[in-house]
Amino acid sequence: MLSSIQNPRLLRLSTLHQIPLRCLQTSTTPVPTPSSPQPTSQILRIRKSLLSRETTAVEIAKTFLSRLRRTEPQLKSFLYVSPEDGVLKQAEEIDRRIQNNEELGPLAGVLAGVKDNICTSDMPSTAGSKILENYTPPYDATAVKKLRENGAIIVGKTNLDEFGMGSTTEASGYQVTANPWDLSRVPGGSSGGSAAAVSAQQCAVSLGTDTGGSVRQPASFCGVVGLKPTYGRVSRYGLVAYASSLDVIGCLGSSVADTGIVLQAVSGHDKFDATSSKQGIPNFASQFIPKDYLDSKPLKGLRVGVIRETLVDGVDPDVISSLQRSVSHLEDLGCTISEVSFPSFSLGLPAYYILASSESSSNLARYDGVRFGNQVFADELSTLYGDSRAEGFGSEVKLRILMGTYALSAGYYDAYYKRAQQVRTLVQKSFRAALEENDVLISPAAPSVAYKIGEKKNDPLAMYAGDIMTVNVNLAGLPALVLPCGFVEEGSSVLPVGLQMIGAAFDEESLLKIGHIFEQTLQGYSFVPPLVGDDF
Amino acid sequence: MGSRAFMVLLSHRGAYINPSANAAQLFLTFGQSPFSPVKIKCLVERRNHRTSHNFSTAANSSLEPPNLPRLAETARISLTPDEVEEFAPKMKQVVDWFGQLQAIDLESIEPAMRADTEDDNSRDDLPQIFENREAIIKAMPSYEEPYIKVPKVLNKE
Repeated sequence: MLSSIQNPRLLRLSTLHQIPLRCLQTSTTPVPTPSSPQPTSQILRIRKSLLSRETTAVEIAKTFLSRLRRTEPQLKSFLYVSPEDGVLKQAEEIDRRIQNNEELGPLAGVLAGVKDNICTSDMPSTAGSKILENYTPPYDATAVKKLRENGAIIVGKTNLDEFGMGSTTEASGYQVTANPWDLSRVPGGSSGGSAAAVSAQQCAVSLGTDTGGSVRQPASFCGVVGLKPTYGRVSRYGLVAYASSLDVIGCLGSSVADTGIVLQAVSGHDKFDATSSKQGIPNFASQFIPKDYLDSKPLKGLRVGVIRETLVDGVDPDVISSLQRSVSHLEDLGCTISEVSFPSFSLGLPAYYILASSESSSNLARYDGVRFGNQVFADELSTLYGDSRAEGFGSEVKLRILMGTYALSAGYYDAYYKRAQQVRTLVQKSFRAALEENDVLISPAAPSVAYKIGEKKNDPLAMYAGDIMTVNVNLAGLPALVLPCGFVEEGSSVLPVGLQMIGAAFDEESLLKIGHIFEQTLQGYSFVPPLVGDDF
Repeated sequence: MGSRAFMVLLSHRGAYINPSANAAQLFLTFGQSPFSPVKIKCLVERRNHRTSHNFSTAANSSLEPPNLPRLAETARISLTPDEVEEFAPKMKQVVDWFGQLQAIDLESIEPAMRADTEDDNSRDDLPQIFENREAIIKAMPSYEEPYIKVPKVLNKE
């Protein structure tokens, strides 16, 4: 997959015609002219080719759908695929609007996958669990509603570890998703389906969720961009709750610009989510300056802090090398690099698992087989509860509920949950201090590349250890971006490595700007897996 | 907790484990017996698994290790004997790992409920009509207008 092409994506920019550009712009962006280059972004490319009448939304939809059909038997990214005629009907409506010169949303014609723990009123939403088999929610999640309002076409619901509990999709109640780079390996989790679908270009973008790294780690394993917004940036209304103080909805795409455009669409305060922030939403898209307009040292003056505790024993040496190469690249772009230390770094992992299991034991109490979901016949109420839950939940979910129940029991609350919350304070303080000295912090997104399917399945602590790079960010509620920065060879496979960038609260703007520039100037890599290579 | 003796007392696969039902069960249920945890260890044959030595660690940490059947009752999940056997060592392993938080000095550190968020973003406490009542009703497994049907609640005592 290493090639000498400049462009990180194997996308060919369409030939340019006279276009009335209705893209997102502010007065601070250089105004694109018909002949000016575009940053690499599938969403912008789709928009340009639609507005220029070079192609139609129906043709674009058919291309994606045919690729989805071709690759799905091997990948199994989707738990539900929208019927083709419905998708094409939505595409036809977009084409009609173009013909009539009507207003088009920024995501018009963009096919999106939605992780199955995010509610869609016209499609089943199982959260990857048998207990919600065939359950169709009575409403759309706010994030889904916003995607639709912006013109996106939801192509299906993607696979995940049950209720978000897992890092490989092996804990899904239905199927294991394969990594498009090597079908014998996991795509990561819990948003494994969302990451695999974007990597294999079964859809252009997808929504995932990130409680302890579940957007960022699969993005790293699958070689796509994953954006975890600040806690509160995106409404959680309609997101099946796992750990309410940690859950966020995130975006996956094949470029930084795409994730930023999706974030723009789904962000905002929602009266139905009291934890959603009223902070204004900057114009994220104005950060996506085409490469040709960049200065020679476009990130001059930017202070980057490398987290020392993420480059230790236990992290794959090839991953560390990729990070070091990324550091050099950032230096070339003008950044000042320093090292930061987080003494409480490794405590974040047990603290996270205590908090997440505890909160999940409460959040999953609602699955009692009474008002929705699968019900097991019983002649006594508590047996109805006990047996419906026993049959509907998988092992990992049961384990975490039991652990959470234990940690919250009378007499144990102070020892576990309260102490974990105190560690959360320590982690927040550490980040705040580090982000005063630095504009952005970096680390690998995961200590290794994708594992083989089955490799970590029976060893919970080994599985949890893989989350070390990501959980502290959730404890602090900060935004983070993961983008592919290199490859590692394992046997006959070439597997992508992701770089994680962490920013200050509500500063997705800086992350997107830096990530975009890093990506556009990264040379010598193509992050399109062999599975897709030919017809893309 | 995965002792073989425990399994003998459970009636059949999928049985709802009720620790208060049977005096014999009580005897061997960890933590509910008149004997101390250490004495129970001698009475009951332990499965040989790698966490079996951790019982002494658990006693040192001054917190009782997880009582799986009791937790399962609290969490309303019916566990099979196989599951008790499978989960107990895993839980032990994870809970011991959680124990490392006990070793640090967290004196005077305020617990944080969540990330720093703004103060009050609650909406006004006014009822709103939810448009799609039919879909909610449709999702219920047993419904007989206007009741959600459930089996009777039996008194355990």
